[in-house]
Amino acid sequence: MKDFKENFNLKDWKVHVLCLVIMVIAELIGTQKISITGPGGKGIAFSLIPMLFAIIIGIVLGGTKRISRKTMETASPYIGICVMFLIVKLSCSIGPAWKSIVAAGPALILQEFGNLGTILLSMPLAVLVFRMGRASIGAAFSISREPSIAIVGEKYGLDGPEGSGVMGAYVTGTVLGTIFYGILASIFVGAKIFHPYSLAMAAGMGSASMLTAALAPLVEAFPDMADEIQAFASTSNTLTNADGLYMSLLIGLPLTEWMYKKLSKNHPQKGVKPVEAASDIVVEKEDI
Amino acid sequence: MTENKTESMGKVWANRIKVLLISGILASIANMIYEWRTHAATIHMPWEVFPALLYMFIIVVVSCLLHDLIARLFPKLKVPVILYVALITTILSFPFTGWFATTMATEFAKIGLLPLCTPILAYAGISAGKDLDTFKEQGFAIVCTAILAFIGTYIGSAIIAEIVLRLTHVIL
Repeated sequence: MKDFKENFNLKDWKVHVLCLVIMVIAELIGTQKISITGPGGKGIAFSLIPMLFAIIIGIVLGGTKRISRKTMETASPYIGICVMFLIVKLSCSIGPAWKSIVAAGPALILQEFGNLGTILLSMPLAVLVFRMGRASIGAAFSISREPSIAIVGEKYGLDGPEGSGVMGAYVTGTVLGTIFYGILASIFVGAKIFHPYSLAMAAGMGSASMLTAALAPLVEAFPDMADEIQAFASTSNTLTNADGLYMSLLIGLPLTEWMYKKLSKNHPQKGVKPVEAASDIVVEKEDI
Repeated sequence: MTENKTESMGKVWANRIKVLLISGILASIANMIYEWRTHAATIHMPWEVFPALLYMFIIVVVSCLLHDLIARLFPKLKVPVILYVALITTILSFPFTGWFATTMATEFAKIGLLPLCTPILAYAGISAGKDLDTFKEQGFAIVCTAILAFIGTYIGSAIIAEIVLRLTHVIL
């Protein structure tokens, strides 16, 4: 109780005011449509939503040293706390849509195995092209969020090459993840290869902010289906939250190890230099 | 490397309550600007979404209490708080809960999904700066591998979902 009173204050007001300012600017910029037309008239179009501007502004301010290190570190645990409102909003769509969810049950469960697609796509590149050595295992077996770091830490230790791999991919995700998924999903919405329901399920990959970034273009493009889309995405995300750890431990890592053995047989590996600054990274327990 | 800071429960709860209250206010402002910018039919003033935020706040606090209780009873079981939040909300949102389900549906509809996310990403942006130096040290190889992994999980799930949805005739 004493600790509660000591810490329940507004000494960190700077962080919240900065957050407010960034948020208001991002919302005022609004959704911006961007289209890049390549040679031959074919191009790609995507939209940038306010939340992506919010993270971009933050990173630019941080990169140009306009935010103190202390402010950055104070803000870090707050992400995991305010993400809980978002989880409530997302999950409340599941009950009313339960009939659609039961109907789509087989798809929802089986698409969880699609999360292993990380390995199939990135292992060949990491081992055959970049010859990254065992760092490729850490970077390729998952989307490298907090639970993955815990797994690698326990199985291999974070000081080894596997640790460098997962930490490198983790910071890549922190800096680029949401922006990347926002754009990727937007492109897929425009491409019309997949049904919106399939894209909704794909958006649930166990990270709430990446989920929302991938979900937003869908909800904007198909407002009539918004309820189902949100319900499918939330269900898929909750499933990944529950099964992700076991999926990685029982299938993901063994598969990655096996692929590494097969692929690296005739391709000598160079390895990746260990990440020196990794010790500075504080990984919060809550997953964003 | 992965610092497992053992903070006192008092500090954890002080942060939880404080940040929930502040980010709730922030989200209600973001919601107003978002509705105004997108020319929504009705623009909800921050105080109009207060009931929605209050219900969310109660659900989150109850989930955190449950999480802490179970973590104390079964120290080996590692279940993230958000899973409790998701499960409790899901159960309450089913039609059989009557009043809960209808109230949640009408109140939560007043606050949009996207503006709820903006303050989160603003905090994320502020804190991402601390990982920026490490990110710059990463080789091209790791960044490419990570990005391909991102594409892989998305496309992998989308392909399987599309095939199974078609086979089970959910979509045509």
